[in-house]
Amino acid sequence: MKILRKLAVAASALTLMASLAHADSTVRFWYHFDNADNPMDALVAEFEAQNPGIKVQAENIPWNSYYDNLYTAIVGGNAPDAAMVKMFAQPRLVEMGALEPIGAQIDAWDGKDRLEDNLLDLTRAADGNTYYLPVQYVVLYLYYRQDMLDELGLQVPATCDEFRSVAKALTRDTDGDGRPDVYGFGFRGGKGGHDHWASFVLGREGVDLQQGLTSEAGIAGSQYVVDLFREDGIFPPSAPNDGFQEILGAFKAGKTAMTIHHIGSANGLVEVLGDKVSAAPVPECGGGRWTAFGDESTAILSSASDKEAAWKWISFLSSPVNNARFNEATGQLPVVRSDAERWSLHPRRFVKATVDSLPHAHLLPNVSQTSDFVNTVWPVNMQRALTGEISAKEMNEKIAELYAN
Amino acid sequence: MTDTTVPDAGPTGRPLGRRVLPYAMLSPAVLVTLAIVFFPMLQTAWMSLHDYVLFRPHRFEFLGLDNYRKALADEVFWISLRHTAIWIGITVPAQLLLGLATALLLNQDFPWRPLARALIIIPWALPSVVIALMWVWIYDSNYGLMNDFLLRLGLIEQAMPWLARPDTALGAIILTLTWQGFPFFAVMILAGLQSIPRSYYEAAAIDGASAWRQFWHITLPGISSVLVTAVLLRMIWVANSFDVIFVMTGGGPGYSTYTLPLYAFIKARTNLDFGYGSALAVLFTLLLMGVVLIYLRRTGKAVSR
Repeated sequence: MKILRKLAVAASALTLMASLAHADSTVRFWYHFDNADNPMDALVAEFEAQNPGIKVQAENIPWNSYYDNLYTAIVGGNAPDAAMVKMFAQPRLVEMGALEPIGAQIDAWDGKDRLEDNLLDLTRAADGNTYYLPVQYVVLYLYYRQDMLDELGLQVPATCDEFRSVAKALTRDTDGDGRPDVYGFGFRGGKGGHDHWASFVLGREGVDLQQGLTSEAGIAGSQYVVDLFREDGIFPPSAPNDGFQEILGAFKAGKTAMTIHHIGSANGLVEVLGDKVSAAPVPECGGGRWTAFGDESTAILSSASDKEAAWKWISFLSSPVNNARFNEATGQLPVVRSDAERWSLHPRRFVKATVDSLPHAHLLPNVSQTSDFVNTVWPVNMQRALTGEISAKEMNEKIAELYAN
Repeated sequence: MTDTTVPDAGPTGRPLGRRVLPYAMLSPAVLVTLAIVFFPMLQTAWMSLHDYVLFRPHRFEFLGLDNYRKALADEVFWISLRHTAIWIGITVPAQLLLGLATALLLNQDFPWRPLARALIIIPWALPSVVIALMWVWIYDSNYGLMNDFLLRLGLIEQAMPWLARPDTALGAIILTLTWQGFPFFAVMILAGLQSIPRSYYEAAAIDGASAWRQFWHITLPGISSVLVTAVLLRMIWVANSFDVIFVMTGGGPGYSTYTLPLYAFIKARTNLDFGYGSALAVLFTLLLMGVVLIYLRRTGKAVSR
């Protein structure tokens, strides 16, 4: 009997808990932050205090397999309710029917006018709907070692020709053993390095990913990159495989004198290099400048169980003060104007380089092929071109082939 | 328990319960295997006949053998197949030789032998991802141990980016996997060595057989069955293992470290082309089937003996 009574108590406790849980709705949110020590828990706690009845379950998914996990979770029926998303993934997510249009919510939201201009236009989908709510942004620019330029009496390169000669001069043997110890430029030949290549190629007249790549100007762009490595030896020998960690590590260690990245790494670099590091827009190549606009938004998945709760959560992240705190963790720039005006996290020269780069900032084409371009077609063919297995022309043909399909 | 009647005796004379029992005991394992191994295998074969791209879930068209035709005409398929052959052809013999030498050493009497035996298993016990990251740093062209070591010995003129050069990347990964896998051979062979009676060696020594002849006529025949089983098993494992490659180079530079399982994985998981990825996986399974059949026939024989 005693056992029966205990069971009855346990059962009623369970029913009570189940009914309590039912009253709450849970928003499962996926994000990717490089640093495990981030303010997400604090933001969640604050949101939950303001919105009783809504629980947020935030999961930090490793960046390297973020989209692999997201797509498979969607197809497997286990998608999160809301997630951090980039523009290059939008065509695919829309094609999968995985996104919930949020245009109406944004229009009715008092935070809409507080966002930086243009961001909602940039993140609108090709079908005219709005699925993305911007949460942070960056623009890629050129990092350089001011002290090394000063030592050799050089100016910051403004064109591709100047870039080549400056990088050549910066590639030096400093300890007299006959081998270079400092390389002019840290090139990212591994996955994610397409922005480096694009800065040297896509600014050229009449060249973009969907057309003109196999023209004379397009091929000259890729040839220029290959020559920097194979002819001039301006990149470290490990460049074909180098990823983010390698290019940043080499730059911090003084193994490279220039590289391309965004404001997200500025504070880490200043911590090591102090005033020796500065930044400027990428050089102009073949008559134009091209740099990458690094976008990051949040979106609600169409499978979300409580879309209203999910909207409350994502709009919370793009609201004043919260947005600043979110960006303090990622080191990127806030999308809320008032947060941007008070922004003091980065030294001025990096904010200036970002703002100066904005007029030349572009997104990759908003089509489904861009994912394959970023993940496999660009890295494989760039590596093959850098190691001399194929020519620059063949590399561009492979990319053109992808976009022609 | 209350049932006292004698169970029915079947045609073989054994009671029915006794005849059913083995099947009843095996069925949970068989059911689980069917659900988590055979069902996905059939699903893979089914997907390989379709145009199935994950981000177009509504377009699931039957293609017949088109994916297979596409694979056989795909340059990357042949590159990957060649690398797979090199990968197995060098890694397994290298592990075998290193394992054999280690086992022979460990079979000698020396102080601290139990400790040495325990230590030798470490590479085998480490997770592949840890091993891969460790070796990425060993091969690093700026800070790597390998370059430092070879530079000091004067064997190379300047630091080599081992993993970034198409001509050295595959070799560098093969060395890593050899290091990881040789303890398996060492342990298996050591067990085999210890089952050879001492008296054989004593008799051979009395007859004046040299150490080499003892090895050739007593040791090698004594461990041959262990060797064949270990080689077959290892071939299947090495063929399928791509985690080390994936972490160390991701297949790069270019296609220089692509193997077939890696190619199938990248096609399916990164490009989300499950139809084509499945076709690659099925093709590779068929190729590997030869080795699996030999292994199954051997274990079948061993069980029935």
